[in-house]
Amino acid sequence: MKVFLYAILRDYFDHEVWIQEPVRTVDELKEKLLLRNESAREILDNCRYAVNDEFIDHSYIFQSHDIVSILPPASGG
Amino acid sequence: MISSAYYHLPVVDEFRYITDEPINLAGVLAKAHRPGAGAVVLFSGETRDNSQGKAVDYLEYEAHPTMAAKMIYNILQEAIERWGLHFAIAQHRTGQVHISESAVVVVTGAPHRSEAYAANRFIIDKIKHEVPIWKCEHFTDGTKQWSEGCLHEHTAE
Repeated sequence: MKVFLYAILRDYFDHEVWIQEPVRTVDELKEKLLLRNESAREILDNCRYAVNDEFIDHSYIFQSHDIVSILPPASGG
Repeated sequence: MISSAYYHLPVVDEFRYITDEPINLAGVLAKAHRPGAGAVVLFSGETRDNSQGKAVDYLEYEAHPTMAAKMIYNILQEAIERWGLHFAIAQHRTGQVHISESAVVVVTGAPHRSEAYAANRFIIDKIKHEVPIWKCEHFTDGTKQWSEGCLHEHTAE
């Protein structure tokens, strides 16, 4: 599954991360990412998650072709 | 009551909501005149030379471009319908924005100033709080700081 990470998350991960193992939920995805960098826990907890440019909530079940975006709290302007 | 004639006119479709090129404030304003709009408000959010007591070198913005563009479009449509605007546009920079350059512009046009001001404020607040655009401050001492942004349970001002 392809995952894109933005802004401050790029200080912890690459912009684009490939998750080989199947993950079903946002929480499972978070755990996979924390295996790579545990110090991102607090930030990941405050992020919004989107699939194919639409926000998802924690009950969403990923499909294998989903493209996931992890969006830190916004602060434009 | 909003005249339906204005519903689909005001947002300029060819406008790029997210751009990595300098914002042309005069050019944006030049597009914002409508015969029925007696009030036009332009807000420009510009890079300040200091933040948190430190001297700022420049700001760097990153966006999720497709989501950000779609959300700005929807925010503009909501403002148009709510305040009966004749015109609404917003454009946000990505990349490096230097001191006194515009990082974001919002222009609203309405029959009277109260609607133009209120709608403009609504649009910029919503862009700052909800749209996936992030600011990184680069200071003159070489350090950088990603803005922590607004968590949903807080309303930052």
